[in-house]
Amino acid sequence: MNQPQKSGNDPIVEFTDVGVTKLSPAGTSMVILDQISFTARQGEITGIIGASGSGKSTLIRLCNRLDDPSAGTIKLNGQNIATIDPLVLRRKVAMVLQKPFMFEGTLLENLQRPFLFRKLAPPSAESLEIARVLDLVQLPAEMLKRDARSLSGGEQQRVNLARALVNHPEVLLLDEPTSALDRPSTARLASTLNTICHSEHLAIMVVTHDLYLAEHIVNHLIYLEEGRIMEQGVGTQMLAIPQTTAFSNFLAKPEREQKSSS
Amino acid sequence: MNNPQHIIPLNVIQLVSAYALILLSLGLARLQRIGHEKQLLWSSMRMLFQLIAVGYLLHLLFAINSPLPVVLMLLTMAGFSLQIAGSRIKKRMPNFYRVVGSSIIIGCGGVTFYFCLLVVGYSPWFDPRYLIPLAGMIFGNAMNGASLAAERLSSEMHERREEIECALSLGATSRQSAGEAIRNAYSAALRPTINTMAATGIVALPGMMTGQILSGTEPIIAVRYQIAILCAITGAVAVTSFLIVQQGYRRFFTDAHQLKRE
Repeated sequence: MNQPQKSGNDPIVEFTDVGVTKLSPAGTSMVILDQISFTARQGEITGIIGASGSGKSTLIRLCNRLDDPSAGTIKLNGQNIATIDPLVLRRKVAMVLQKPFMFEGTLLENLQRPFLFRKLAPPSAESLEIARVLDLVQLPAEMLKRDARSLSGGEQQRVNLARALVNHPEVLLLDEPTSALDRPSTARLASTLNTICHSEHLAIMVVTHDLYLAEHIVNHLIYLEEGRIMEQGVGTQMLAIPQTTAFSNFLAKPEREQKSSS
Repeated sequence: MNNPQHIIPLNVIQLVSAYALILLSLGLARLQRIGHEKQLLWSSMRMLFQLIAVGYLLHLLFAINSPLPVVLMLLTMAGFSLQIAGSRIKKRMPNFYRVVGSSIIIGCGGVTFYFCLLVVGYSPWFDPRYLIPLAGMIFGNAMNGASLAAERLSSEMHERREEIECALSLGATSRQSAGEAIRNAYSAALRPTINTMAATGIVALPGMMTGQILSGTEPIIAVRYQIAILCAITGAVAVTSFLIVQQGYRRFFTDAHQLKRE
């Protein structure tokens, strides 16, 4: 069941009949995603939810061209992303991967990495740029000199988020950001994402198995099953009154069975 | 440089006496129950027949003294280098034979050409008495470097997938994201050659030098040859491995700076 959402915010990412087909090790063709159509808007959080193997992670990887679709079009601000230089696209569409990876060095050096990749002079610890992202993710400036790999899981996830934000992206993608976090850390992250979304006027797309995020911060919710959108709409309404048997069944399962990285 | 009157020509009885040491090794292997007796016997037999065959082949090449058979011999050696390098590696990079084959031909061929014609400067250029042993040493050592570079690059690219995708997501190019993997693979390929140079003359006397000394060459001249050939080997390993890692890392990515799926 596809119900395109209605919202006053500007559309930024538009999927139209997107499909992904891959060859299995046995040489047969496998459909990973099929006829995916939805719109993510500025200032809104789009949640993608589904069981293991439903194609959630593949879907989000298409947005910054870590993978390319086999069919359909994806547009960013009305432009087909296949025509955008991937290096330029990835500065506009930042991604936080499931496992927070810390490069060798301090927290500051990790935040400077995106500048070095672009061959720009990295901002100093005292710069407004660093202060801005630290403030957004609520990390104290005293931590800048600490070895990034010695930080806790929750802190590393915040560094990951801050590092993605230094490029001033228009869209922020998050792949299972709470998979390694406990409930209090998840709640803190949810509140941070909500703040970032509104203060930076970003479009956030988050893949999650965690109903907490879906319930608390997601505006537009998409439920995927076996690579197809089974239901989409306003998050709180969908969770309160599921419109499809598929989504009802998914919600009825114990949460531990929904943990996944598809 | 040869003074054949100083050489004691080993006869069959002397060779059989030398093989008594293989029998001793077999006895010790059996005593320790390492289970490699058959392998030891088989390898010693292979060595016997391969070296006798090469001896007659070289004898024939020296007698013919024509460029075509010498070039064919060199190409065969390059082919075996590639085949052995490939058979040693468990996990091969994409397009392994094309990458490693072209690197061995350009790297070893270029260094051999420079060393034989410009450094040693003998005439005619195809003189098999010089070209074949010198090229043999260069190809043999470069093959080891090639194996190490290719194998390490594959394993680094596999183990660093998360790091590479994280860097790509932050706007890095393929080259930037694979920088650490490339550096480690190149370092691993050069390390044995660097160690050999440092240990030469202290830990072990190299085969070429000892062979020349046994043939009656003045040690000072033999040492000069040894120094020169070690420089050539280092150059061949450096160029071949450089070409492998530079060509090789690209095979793991698409043109859109996407890491290919394994």
